[in-house]
This record gives sequence, structure tokens and C-alpha cells, in this order.
Amino acid sequence: MKSTTKKSAVEKMLTGIRGLDEALMGGVPKGRSTLITGGTGTGKTVILNEFLYQGITQFKENGVYVAFEESKREIIKNVKGFGWNYASLIAQKKLAFVDAGTLRELTFESGRNYDLSPLIERVKYAMNKVKAKRLAIDGLDNLFSRFQNKDAVRQALYQITDELKNSGVTVFMTAEKVGSDKGRSRYGVEEFVADGVIEIELIKGQQQFLRRMFAVKFRGTGFRSGIVEFEITDQGLLVYPKIPVENVVAKTDFQVRKGFGIKGLDDTLDGGIPQGHMVLLSGNTGTGKTMLGMQFLKQGIVEGENAVFVALEEPVEQVKKTALSHGWDFNRYEKERKVNFVTTNLIDISNDKLLYQIISAAEGINAKRVLVDSISTLLSATMSEEQVRQFLLQLSRHFKAKGITCIMNCLSSASFGAGRGQLLSGLVTNEMRLSSVTDGIIMLLFVERGQKVKKLLSVLKLRGSNHSKEIFSFEIEKDGIKMGEKYEE
Amino acid sequence: MAVKYVLKLYVTGVTPCSQAALKNIKKILSETYKGAYSLKVIDVLKNPKLAEDDKILATPTLIKILPPPVARIIGDLLDKEKVLLGLDLVAVRVGALEKNK
Repeated sequence: MKSTTKKSAVEKMLTGIRGLDEALMGGVPKGRSTLITGGTGTGKTVILNEFLYQGITQFKENGVYVAFEESKREIIKNVKGFGWNYASLIAQKKLAFVDAGTLRELTFESGRNYDLSPLIERVKYAMNKVKAKRLAIDGLDNLFSRFQNKDAVRQALYQITDELKNSGVTVFMTAEKVGSDKGRSRYGVEEFVADGVIEIELIKGQQQFLRRMFAVKFRGTGFRSGIVEFEITDQGLLVYPKIPVENVVAKTDFQVRKGFGIKGLDDTLDGGIPQGHMVLLSGNTGTGKTMLGMQFLKQGIVEGENAVFVALEEPVEQVKKTALSHGWDFNRYEKERKVNFVTTNLIDISNDKLLYQIISAAEGINAKRVLVDSISTLLSATMSEEQVRQFLLQLSRHFKAKGITCIMNCLSSASFGAGRGQLLSGLVTNEMRLSSVTDGIIMLLFVERGQKVKKLLSVLKLRGSNHSKEIFSFEIEKDGIKMGEKYEE
Repeated sequence: MAVKYVLKLYVTGVTPCSQAALKNIKKILSETYKGAYSLKVIDVLKNPKLAEDDKILATPTLIKILPPPVARIIGDLLDKEKVLLGLDLVAVRVGALEKNK
């Protein structure tokens, strides 16, 4: 008999941990076990706790915590820091503990003739008590170090695994990683009983520790390879999944133009920036890039399109004040959920984190316009040029798929006071190298003519548009940018 | 005379190993300790909650509750020296001898 339909390998289950489900392409294998391995202080226990807590609170999936490492009392106390009230969950019969931390009492072994069946019975008892769907086992290796008869421990682990396989319960467990072998924990058995292994590590950045995780294996299911960064925040874990390069058809539409609401400029752009375009707004310091970008966002908001302002250059408060001096109340826009601001730590900056922040800020309010002020900040921070290119590419693909129009400010070294015929002399710099990933370049520059500094603007490139090739002068006035005459020398 | 020794023996069901442990502890007590003792046998299968409260991970486990300090002996209790050590029985015997002097 021929079968045309392919049976899907493994059903996935959402963990509910922010970012982790995306990184694992839809969650962890349902009814299976995942091992979290890593050194001391990497955050293994936090992942376990979040797995249980999110299960109970988001999905009504009750959980059991098997604590080999810390005592029940310590854990209840520790998670209070995240605002999680375990005592109440226990009282509501949503959470149960198998309290199996190291005992202070004297313990002797008389012969190797014993087994760990009470552990299995206690796990079953706890799971039955709350009708558990999730099981977290903290510190498997700790169990090994407590008994001389390692075979008894191994046997118990296999037995628990067997019992669980048919119960439909999804398991997260942790074991300390020793040495440098990838994904190997101390007793070797942990990987064997686990269907998936996630390794986490703590690495030294320039100013802070960075946490990273990567999936070592997931039997019979896909996962996004590569290292993802995560943080432990006061609300629990936050994973920054790699944003996949979108392969869906770009929603670029040359007919739909996104204007600045600046007379003259929109005409120059043949109506505005085409929807889904990523345009580089390049200019020397003080030429008005931030201002022009801000005006682009404001115009969108006025027309009913929400916006994201990625403020990497100046503090958000300062940006808002500047805007307000031109009569644009971004504070109010923010309160009305028409604009989201994104900031990040420029030291130890991370591609994935920033991408995730921008994309979730945009998704949160269904934004259609984005300003990144500026790309140069990323270059002068710790991002390499290649990372910036990668960042732009991922962001651009994503925005195109969503029909989001984006302006990237870029500090240009085009020289101040260029001589006759040398207006564009400094251009063979960043913007040319970034040109392939951008759809357009608008250039702002200064020239010194007749004892005065003039501000000039020119559209160097705009894919799919019959834009004006002229150079225009412009002024920054109280209520924004005003376009002037065509500039002729 | 007041009960000197209070012991609990945890077992999981009736197995050769749990039977052996029970036999061995009774034998050791009758050989080395003439005083009164209370030995309670608890089956984990019937009382998982007690096993949880006493944090029992392996069976057989013998817990000496009194006299303090509380001590646990895991295994079939065949190794007499270990059991005596765990029960602190050597000291008791010495004490008993001194008393008799």
C-alpha cells in the first residue's frame, strides 16, 4: 500500500519561555525529555523553573519539580525574585515538589544491595497529585554523587524515562557540564535518557557576562542551529532567537509611497519612499539626519501608521525633547501606542538581541515605519562591518516581508566644504559598502559657499523610482525641514 | 524502662532485599543491643507521602531517629560494622559497660 502523506515526526510543545520557542522552531518535542547542560551559574535552574511556571500560568499545564540540588524551601525563596508565588501554586495543587536536596544527616551505605525505587514512587505520587504535564529535574549529576552504586542510579533514570515515555509528560532536566566536550555531562547517561540537549554557557564580554545557548541535538525534530543569546531578567528568561532570513515574497510596492510630508522632498522622491524599502540616510554630523528621520516617523503617525524609533545615538528622553521643540509630541505618541522606542547597550552589543528587540517592538504595535538612528553607532560599537551587513540584510528581508518601510541613518565622512565639483568625493565609504543591502540612499551634506554654510540634499539612489537627480538646498526650521531651491554652483 | 532506640525501616514492596534488611537489623539488634527498641517498617508503595516527608530516595533505608543524631543506613544491612557505626551502637555498649562497673 502506498502512502502519500508523510507522518510528521514529533509533535512540538510551546514552553512559553520568551524567545526559546522561536529558537527551537515551535518549542520542544512534546512528551519527550530535554537536557539542559552547562557550567555553574549559567542559568540552568532558571530555565527549569520558567519551564514549569510558564506551563502552569500560560497553558494550565501543571508541573512537578524534582529538586536534587537545592531544597524546596530555597527554590520557593529564589523564584520570588521573579515575582512567582510557588507557595500559592502548591496550595492550588498546580505544582508539587519532590524534595530531594542533599541531606545534612549522617548517611551510611551497608552493601550495594539497594535501589532507587522510592524516587520513582515519589515522582509518580507528586505527578499524580497535580495531574502533571511537565516535569523538571534539577541536578541529575547530584544524584550520582550521592550514591556509591552508580548502576542503581542509572537503572532508576532509565526506569523513570520508561515510565514517562508513555505518560505524555514533557521533561526538562539539568546536569552540570564538566570539561570542554560539547554537550557531555559528567556521567554520560544524561544525554542518553534525553531526546534533546541544550547547552548553555556564560562568556565574558567586554563589560558584562553574556549568556548563550545552543541546541546540541533534538531527536527527530528540527531546530534552528546556531548560538542564541539570552538574558535573565527580573521577569525570568529572555531568549533572543536568531531571526530567520525571510523567504516569503517581499511586499515591496512601488505604487505605495511613504512620504515625509515635506513639500519638495516627496516630489524629489517621486512621491515618497516605496513601501518596504530600506533607505540609507547619510550625512555628516549636524546635517539633520535624526530630524529628517523623525519627521518621516511623525508623518506616518499623522497618517495613521505606527512607528518604531531605534535610538542608539542619544538617550530617548533627549530625542523626545528635540522632537517636542518642533511640535512633535512623541511622549504622547508613545502613550497612545503609536510609537515604540528601542534602545540597547552599545557595549557588548548583540545582533540577535537588537534584531529581536526591533522586530518585537514593530510587531507589538503593527508599525509600518522604522527609523534606525544610526547604523554608524553599531559600527563604532563592537559590531564588525560584516555583522552590520548581516544585521541590515536580516532586518531588510523581514521588513520587506511585512511591508515595513525603514530609514537607516548613517554618519558620512563626506567632507565639509567640498570644493567645486567635489560634492560627493567622500562617498566611497560606508554607504557604498552597504549599498547592496539598501534600496536607496539619500545624502545630506554641508557646503561652504559665499561665507555661509549651506545644507544640501540629494537622492543618490532609489530602486524602482524615477527620482530627481538634482541637488537641493534645505533648511532646518522650527516646524521641521524646509526644502529650498535646486542647488547650482 | 523507656524505649532507647527508635528506628524506621523503609522498604518498597516485599522484595528479597527488603526481607534481608529486616532480618539483618533484627539479628544485629538482638546480638549487640539488649535494650528495648521500636522498629517501624514502612512500605513506600503504600505510603509515598511518608517517603516524601522523610526524603527517602533508596530502599532499604534504615533511619535511626533516637538517640540523636539522626542517621541513615542504606542497603541490605549485611555489613554489620557499617550498621553498628550508623546506629552508634559501639558507643552505647561502651557506655553500658561503664555503667555496670
